[in-house]
Amino acid sequence: MDRLDAELAAETSRRRFLQNAALGGAAIAAAPALAQGITQGLTDLHLPGGNAQRPMTSAFPGKGSMILQRVHPPLLETPMDVFDRDMFTPNDQFFVRWHWADIPTSIDVDAFRLTVRGHVNKPIAISLEQLMRLPRVEMAAVNQCSGNSRGLFQPRVSGAQWGNGAMGNAKWLGVRLRDVLDLAGVKAGAVQVRFGALDQPVVAGAPDFEKALDIDHARDGEVMIAFGMNGTQLPLLNGFPIRLIVPGWYSTYWVKMLNDIEVLPGPDDEYWMAKAYKIPATPGANVKPGAKDFPTVPINRMIPRSWVTSLGEGQRIAHEASIPLGGIAMGGDCGVARVDVSTDGGHHWFATKLGPDHGKFSFRRWDAQVPLPGPGQTALMSRCWNTAGVAQPMAPIWNPGGFMRGNIETTTIVTA
Amino acid sequence: MKAPTPGMLAIGLLGVTVFTLMMVGPPGSYTPPPEPHSTGPAPSSISVNGFTLASDTVDLPIDEQQYPDGPHADVINANCTSCHSASMAMTQPVLSADQWKATVTKMKDVYKAPVAEKDIPAIIDYLTAMSVAQDGAPTGKVQNPAPDASGGTG
Repeated sequence: MDRLDAELAAETSRRRFLQNAALGGAAIAAAPALAQGITQGLTDLHLPGGNAQRPMTSAFPGKGSMILQRVHPPLLETPMDVFDRDMFTPNDQFFVRWHWADIPTSIDVDAFRLTVRGHVNKPIAISLEQLMRLPRVEMAAVNQCSGNSRGLFQPRVSGAQWGNGAMGNAKWLGVRLRDVLDLAGVKAGAVQVRFGALDQPVVAGAPDFEKALDIDHARDGEVMIAFGMNGTQLPLLNGFPIRLIVPGWYSTYWVKMLNDIEVLPGPDDEYWMAKAYKIPATPGANVKPGAKDFPTVPINRMIPRSWVTSLGEGQRIAHEASIPLGGIAMGGDCGVARVDVSTDGGHHWFATKLGPDHGKFSFRRWDAQVPLPGPGQTALMSRCWNTAGVAQPMAPIWNPGGFMRGNIETTTIVTA
Repeated sequence: MKAPTPGMLAIGLLGVTVFTLMMVGPPGSYTPPPEPHSTGPAPSSISVNGFTLASDTVDLPIDEQQYPDGPHADVINANCTSCHSASMAMTQPVLSADQWKATVTKMKDVYKAPVAEKDIPAIIDYLTAMSVAQDGAPTGKVQNPAPDASGGTG
């Protein structure tokens, strides 16, 4: 913890005290904009139609400089320049997303238990020590919010107004979910496995956040329970002490602070599977803007994406005949096969050189030396093909949830 | 080695006392260093096969940001700040009254927000007016006439 963080932590404690002291007064007294006390400057997410300015903050435990979308419960976005520095997103700048505000702020590793129950031969509650003694696996995998880039949808849709930084890539260390399920013994006839966590709704009767996977998926040997993230324990805000890792699938399934596994003899029909995080059952989850009454399915596998990260939106550089250009790509539910780039809005494309392969679910670096038109405004684009042959489309999709954006993104720079 | 005389002991004791008083300072002048958590024994930890997990305790920032002044700001501040920050609403694109109604209804019916029925029109009015005022120009208008059918979030 650096000096600034220590001061902010102290300030946070003081304000928590004051808030607690003021409870009972229902607290409508015109409070000054105290969120300013935990922020430093603004950043522009360049969302179409505006309202795109967000404060930066370093006030969250275990977190460095992040884009502040919401304090309570936390929504913290990773600035794009972080992705340019390393294919693995540092833990202290890994994005944060919580649904409910009742988040445990203290975890005792001795007292913690993970239960496995339901349609099993022998319900169990295992300690972290028991879990850590199981055979280990390590995997690089991108964790991306279902609604990453929602703020770029046109027409705009409601929900968390993320730019492109509700994602991150880490080396996850843990154990296979299958091995944990086998400790309890899955009974014949199991259909799904539901995952619950320590966070809770703040009001009685509200739906606890739980997600489910099909039993065959849960037992595929790739889905894992992670206790390590980039070589160390997870930040509490990223799910300490353990979280589910569902490689190639959107983050909604990567349940944080996982403490309960329930094997189900039928499909999970609770709110978070049956109603929320549903996408149109159409190619690319795409419907006409304003469409309703279309069939839906739970969001599932990720799709290929890529970004220019060596230059930022609106950046001004000296004009030259050619420049080095770099960025990141992900294959979605499989590896990255190829990335091309364009410096003229998609008319001409150039091959890039892919960086080291950290595994099919990881970010992959790409670099190229590309000619520059201009001088003037220049539209930079990157296009990823994954190893299944799926390429990013030029046209954006639309759906009312703002899920699964994956079209070719444009970074506009100015050369002079 | 000679045993210390009673006089040496007395001088030593006096020295320790003076030093202690100097460190403590006069009443009221002592400022504890910023300590977000009480100092106790080191947090418990588990180490297995070269990997260690240590118990963790954090403080999360408290958001005291209120909704900006405007008609019915008192109603929305009373109803819509305990479950989530005001920024959740303030960062939205321009939404129509129908869209805000769908959101407020979802908060009440699905997420069980304890919002009184009589407060709902005021909350929708506030959000609709805020939405337009914040945007300034109509270019960012959301053209989606249908409330989110997906259940949302993410």
